Order: sequence, then C-alpha cells, then structure tokens
Amino acid sequence: MIERTVTIKNKAGLHTRPAAGLVKLASRFRSEFFIRKDGIEINGKSIIGVMTLAAERGSQLTLVFDGEDEEEAARTVCAYFDEGFGEP
Amino acid sequence: MKYKADKVFEDLKRISKKSIPVRTLYEKNRVRLSLRSVNGLEKSKREITDKNLHRPGLALAGYVDLFTYHRVQVMGNTEIHYLQSLPPKQREAAFRRLFDFPLPCIIITAGNVLEENLVAIATEHGVPIFSTKHETTKAVYFLGDFLDDQFAPKTVIHGAFVDVYGIGVLFVGRSGIGKSEIALDLVERGHRLVADDIVMVIRKGEGILMGSGSSLVKHFMEVRGLGLIDIQSIFGIRAIRFQKRIEVVVVLEEWDEGAEYTRTGLDSDEVTILDVPIPLVRLPIFPGKNVTVISEVIALNYLLKHYGYDSAKAFAERLKSIIEKKAEAEEKSDPMIDWFEHDFE
Repeated sequence: MIERTVTIKNKAGLHTRPAAGLVKLASRFRSEFFIRKDGIEINGKSIIGVMTLAAERGSQLTLVFDGEDEEEAARTVCAYFDEGFGEP
Repeated sequence: MKYKADKVFEDLKRISKKSIPVRTLYEKNRVRLSLRSVNGLEKSKREITDKNLHRPGLALAGYVDLFTYHRVQVMGNTEIHYLQSLPPKQREAAFRRLFDFPLPCIIITAGNVLEENLVAIATEHGVPIFSTKHETTKAVYFLGDFLDDQFAPKTVIHGAFVDVYGIGVLFVGRSGIGKSEIALDLVERGHRLVADDIVMVIRKGEGILMGSGSSLVKHFMEVRGLGLIDIQSIFGIRAIRFQKRIEVVVVLEEWDEGAEYTRTGLDSDEVTILDVPIPLVRLPIFPGKNVTVISEVIALNYLLKHYGYDSAKAFAERLKSIIEKKAEAEEKSDPMIDWFEHDFE
C-alpha cells in the first residue's frame, strides 16, 4: 500500500473535467485507489465519489494505492495532480 | 480484485467530531428552539466538547468539585429562582463562581430573564448566553438530540442505498458489479433512491444507523455508458428520499462455484457497522438473474420477520410437524392423493 499527499494546483479545483480524467486514469490500473480529504475516504475510481470531495485550489488530498501495480499507479496519478490536470 | 465485505466494513474510517463551535449550536437551533442571543456573543468560537448538557444548580450553591463545566449549561426555573432567592451580593458571587471555569455557553430556558449585572459578568468572560421561551424539558430534549447528532460517529460507505417498500436496503460490492443499475431498476419499479455511490452513515442513539447522500451529490447517479443522470429530475420527487434507516445490507458477488450460499435462510448473517449489527444477505449474481425482484423479496422478507414471521423457520416447523404426524400414523398415505383431495376444479 502506498500513501501520497498531493495539493490541488489549478485555479478551478477538482471540477468535473479533471475528476473524469482522474477516474479514467485510475481505472487503467488494477490497484485499488482511495482518496482521503477532511476525514472522508472515497473510491478514487468513482466519478461521483471524486466530485463529492469538491476539492478547491490549495486543498490537500491523501491518495492511497493498494494492489499489484500500485507503484506505477501512484506515479501516474500523482503526476496528473502535479501538472494541475493540465489547467492553469 | 475480490470484494471482501467483512474486511470492508471492518476497515471503515470513523469520523466523529471532537468539538463544535458555539455559533453552530446557535445557528442550527435558532429557529427550531427560538434561541435568542442575550449578550451578542452568538458568533463566539468557544468550543463545545461534550454531547451532554448540565444544569449548574449545585455549582451555584457552591459545590464545584465535580462540576462538568465543559458541558453546555442549562439554567431553568430552579437555577433562576435560586439566584433570585439570594441577597444581591451573594447572588453575584454565586453566579461569578461559575466563571472560574471555562464554560462553553449558557442557555436560559422557560422565558426566564437574567439580571443585567449577571449578564455583564458572562460578557466580561466572553461566555455567550442564549435564551429560549421553551420549557427546560423541551429545550433539553431538542439540544440533547442536536448534540447527539453532532457528536455521533459517522462513516462513508461505497454503495447504493434504496428504500424498498419502506425498508432501507444498502447494496455493496466491488465497483462495476452493477450497484447503480440495480438502484436504477428499483427506482423504475417505484422504490426510492436515498444515495448512490457515496452513502453517509451516522449512528443515532444506540443501534440505529441512518444513511443519506452527500449534500453536493444529492440524487445524481453515474451509469456506466450514460454518464451522470439526475434521478430526481427524471423520475420526480417520488423516486427519492433524503435519509433512511439502514436495515439490510446486500452484498453483490460474482457467482462463485466454490462459495457456499445459504439455501434455507435459517442461518442468518450479520455485519457490524459503527458497532451496530445489521442483517447481511450475500447475493450471488450472474447474467439473466433478476436481482431487482430478489431485492424486493429481501425487503419484504425482512418486513415479515420484523412483524414476527420468519419464512425459513415457518417452513422448518411445518416439515417437522408433518414428519411427526407421519411417524404417528398407522397407515401410510399417498402424498399425491392427499394433495389433490380438496381440489375440484
């Protein structure tokens, strides 16, 4: 199991488009993927779950990966967060 | 990856508040309890850390050894009349004694009024005072309920939660197994969706679990291949409800040749969520199996059990009594003839 903390960098926050992108990205991996914020843990492969977080710019999320390809999943997903979902 | 229900429920993250600010208490109860801010400190950030209330009668009388000062202090007729029975100087001293302790706030009930010089003491210490016209019993009941809720353990479960014939049925299973589709099918058949995907669970009192959706998602649902759909807009108000007691958990599993499923229903399973035991049904699914109808039967069967009729037990009893009768009978009867005997159509 891998845990990583990431920060939302883009201005609009984790809105619908990046949420959909994140879910698609995570679904490519076999590992389970959870996101924690404010004590709530949701399934990172569920679009409704990700959008429930309503994560704004600057908020911190804890990503949890668990499974055979967890390292690759963590690297890919964290990179998506680090580039601000490709948004300003 | 295989869905392990026991592990999932064991691993649930508990969320419970350690404290709430006084302003939340005021804002949430202002209308319901007609709370009025007496000294204008309703925006106070003082923290309430205990779900219980306290009536500071003994503390006013001078006994402060076991004074539960961190609780919300409720002053009703008894406390106010006691204060009024004292000569002014002693009255002030008795009231001032309370503020040797960091109280969160004071609530004056039954339309009582605190003298201005006493209010000033509280203001000086930054302690908010609220008043309500409601009797102490009623105020305590409402506030207790409110604080109970605020401090209740909560958790989030990944699943679909539907009110089926008035029974709260929570569907869980690995993602992609079809929880949302079953919920949608149930809604189509006239049942009511409470939440899909993210189910917020809160324990009320002892032994009651309430489930609801998150305020953001409400009754949106994701159906693979369709995207996001709004159940309330499509099916109308009858298709949704905001919260429901969780009464049965249904675990959806892929049909597994090796696994054993209950065949009689005599040995009922249970799962513990936030220390509350909830009946659990393991439902193997495969293409062509009508899970929706089975879900309705699960709900109805639970309802029967609730009203004191256990189908599996009733059948077992019947079988037992017939075997006993057979053993007693001297002449063996022909089951086919007995069965058709009373049917003349």
